[in-house]
Order: sequence, then structure tokens, then C-alpha cells
Amino acid sequence: MEKFKKKILVVDDDEMLLMATKELLTAEGYDVATHVSGFGVINRITTSRPDIVLLDINMPALSGDNLAKLVLQRCDVPIVFHSSNDEDSLRRAVAECRVKGYICKGDIFDLKRKVATYLL
Amino acid sequence: MEPLQTDSQPIGSLITSKEWLSPTTLTGHVADRFYQSTTLDAVALVDDGRPVGLVTRPKLLFTLFRRFGFELFGKKPIIAIADTNPLIMREDEKLDIAIDRALSRPDQDIYDEIMLVDWDNRYKGLLSVKQMVIHQSHALANSVVQKEMARERAKELEKVNQVKSQFIAHVTHELRAPVNAIIGLAELMRISSEKSDIGQLRDRLSVMMSSATHLRTIITNILDLSKIEAGKMDVFLETFDIIPLLREVAETARILVGNKPVDVEVVAHDGPVFTVSDPIKVRQILINLTSNAAKFTDKGRLTLAVTAGEEMVAISVKDTGIGIKEADLDKLFTAFSQVEDAKTKRHEGTGLGLTITKNLVDLLGGSISVSSRFGEGTSFEVHLPIKNSKEEVIDHGKV
Repeated sequence: MEKFKKKILVVDDDEMLLMATKELLTAEGYDVATHVSGFGVINRITTSRPDIVLLDINMPALSGDNLAKLVLQRCDVPIVFHSSNDEDSLRRAVAECRVKGYICKGDIFDLKRKVATYLL
Repeated sequence: MEPLQTDSQPIGSLITSKEWLSPTTLTGHVADRFYQSTTLDAVALVDDGRPVGLVTRPKLLFTLFRRFGFELFGKKPIIAIADTNPLIMREDEKLDIAIDRALSRPDQDIYDEIMLVDWDNRYKGLLSVKQMVIHQSHALANSVVQKEMARERAKELEKVNQVKSQFIAHVTHELRAPVNAIIGLAELMRISSEKSDIGQLRDRLSVMMSSATHLRTIITNILDLSKIEAGKMDVFLETFDIIPLLREVAETARILVGNKPVDVEVVAHDGPVFTVSDPIKVRQILINLTSNAAKFTDKGRLTLAVTAGEEMVAISVKDTGIGIKEADLDKLFTAFSQVEDAKTKRHEGTGLGLTITKNLVDLLGGSISVSSRFGEGTSFEVHLPIKNSKEEVIDHGKV
């Protein structure tokens, strides 16, 4: 059974948020891994092969939108922005980086619903 | 800023001469007036308060110096050779319109004075074309200068706007992060409570408390700064001993330092250091400085020291933390300048603490300075007046 769990990688510089998101999504029955910086994400993706990546945008030195472009050049993985920024700027970032979509941090219902949809 | 001067002023304010004579004055007498006064360029002929004609120097002299001119006209009333159809305009007419009309006259009349009248057609004075043109060119020069000023101002406003939107993006993120954490934790606590896992519930509750406290600090900072910027921050002066306050702040610093190997010490001479100031603001200044020091110091020492002088008391907050790069020292206290790109900024917090601290020190009539070596530590020094006269403080508050 464990084998068929969908894998989610959550990338964020905020450890509190990583902890909360991990627990929330684990409770939903996903296999959740976390990565606490923008650096080393590509390696992490190629080794752990997640089904989806939740990517924060505001991170020290390497912002999520720039990182998304780098990741998509090398890996074939769905990326969803997970950010506290306002929705207008998230929509723009989604269009610009050609990622799957965005989830507003703090909206737990949206998080569960969108993750389920993107993983279909 | 002054409004742009786009429309021209009324010509009544530019009247050059109020001289007038009766139309029946003999031409010879009029000529004498022109001989006597070399600055007289023209005379109005006025009958019963109404303008009836205009005599200009060049035209009068031209007529009289022609052959037999003086003999022919000298003993006749001036009206016989005056221009009886001069340009007459209302004194409230606009300068640019007056110039247009004056210059659209036939060539030989172009420089003739204009007769000005009031609403009731009563003679008010003469206006020279020269005078009008001088004023018009000054106005033009002014408007060029004003346009340049307006352009500069617009540039500045654009810059301020840019900084503001950067600031808002930054603050938005800073406010949402703890709120989101609180929501997430609340949901996790719900899950824990369903599992009846009291231990987990307790752990999460304490993390939630710290997120809520962090949020409160940010909100307080933003509100304080806007209060300061609006000039609404009041100062309440009291006489108090600064030493116990310093010890209290040191106690708070010890809590903030937590388990890190950092010694917090207070260095002061024996005996009280009485100061007339606002103790709440002084505490806020010191708490801001020490909590920064505690945040950025992982090992070593955090020292709070006080030295009382004749007029000022010096309080220093010194740490052995990460230090500040020399290039960043200048912009440390400047509002908004420390705002990095919200997407890639390195340090948590709004960066408003020092801006507020600097503003509070100013409000109390003091000064603050900083010195630092990157990687070795930072030292902030605050100088506050020992005897604060109320007037001085209020004056500072207005700045």
C-alpha cells in the first residue's frame, strides 16, 4: 500500500510551515518530504522523484519563481507555487514560469483540494 | 508646491503711467511736457473720466518737426492731432490676450500705449507694450523653471511610490507568514485533539503562541511607525532611574538568548542615574536594540553599559554577533531603505525596528550611532539628554 502513496516535496525556508504542511498532507495520506532551502532542490527532485513539488516563492537568495524555471529546464515534474504573496502576483508568476498553478498559504481547504486535483 | 502659472495675470497690475490731460490742452503745452520729462512716452487725453485720445512722443514730435508743424498745430487743441481711435482695453483683461491685440495692430501703431479702463469705461492708466512684453517673457521663463521643478517632483514621487509598493509587498508577506502558521497549527491541533494526543497538542500550542507573539510584534511595529510618520507619537516626561530599567531589559535579553552560549551583562557605576525622559520610549529603544543583538549573536557576550555625563547619558548595547557590513551601516536607520527584495530577503522581520528606534531617539532629543565589524560584532550607542526641558522635546516631536 505504502508504495502507491503519491509523493509530495515541499520546499520552503520556513521550518514551521514545512512542519505544518507536512503533517497536514500526511494526514491526507500522502508521502511528504520537505526541503528547507532553495538550494539543492534539483538534486532532491532527481533522487526522490516526487509526483508534485510545492514551492515557496520568497526564499533567501534564490526566489521560487527563478528556481521553478531552472527546475523545469532539467526535470519533468509538476510544480505548484505555495506562497503568502497576493494572488495577482501569484497568477503572474504562474503564467511567467509555466508552472501548474498556485496555492495560497494559510488556506488549508485550498491546499488539500488543489493538491488532490493536481495529483489526479 | 506652488501651482503652475499657466494663465497670465490681469493687465491692470502692469499700468506704467496714469498721466492724462484734457483734450482741449494746447498742443504747444503738451509738447513742453514731453520736452521736460524725457521718460514720458505717452499721454492720455481724458474728458470727464473717459478716454478720448492718445498722444505718443514719437508721433507728436514727428508731426511738430515737420515743416511748419509747430506753426500749424502749436496753438490748436491737442485732440486735433491725437490718435482718437487708440486701443482701449479693460484693466482685467489677461496679459496674453492684450499682447496679441497690441501686436496685431498696423505696423506704425504697434508700439503705441494701450489705454486701460475699468468696467464703467473710466480711464485707469496707460500700459506700454514694452512693459507687457517684459512681463510675458518673465512669465515664460518662470513657467519653464516651474515645469522643470514639476518634472523633478514627479520623479521623486515615482521613487517614493516604488519604495512604498516594495514596502507593502514586504509587509504583506511578513504579516501573512505568522497568520498562516497560526491557521496551520490550529488545524494540526484539531487533528491532535481528535487523536486525544495531549502531548502533541501542548507542543503545538506553544509553537502557536510564539507565532502569535511574533505577529503582534510586527503589527505593533507597523502601527508605531505610522504613528511616528504621522507625527502622532506623544512624549510623557518623568524623572526616573535608568539603571533598574537597564537590568529589566537585560533580563528580557537573557530570555531571548535562550540556550545559546551568550552572557548578558550590565555595566554601570554604583548609584542611580536619574534622567528626565519618557521611560516607556527609552525601554522600547533598548528592547529593540537588545533583541536585535540577541537575534544575531550565537555565542559570546551582550553588554548593556551606561555612562552619565553632565548633560547627556550614554547607553551602549554591544554584541559579539554576526556584525554589519560597512556598506550597509549608512542605510541602517533610514526608513524603508533596508527593505530588500521581498522575494529573496535573508533576514526575517520587517526591518522596521531600527527605523522606529531612531525615530524614538530623535523624539526624545537624543542621538544614536552604530559601529560594527562584519563577523565580529556590533555596538549601538544612544545619547539621551539628562534634563529634558519640555519645550525642546515638543520641538523635536514636530520635526
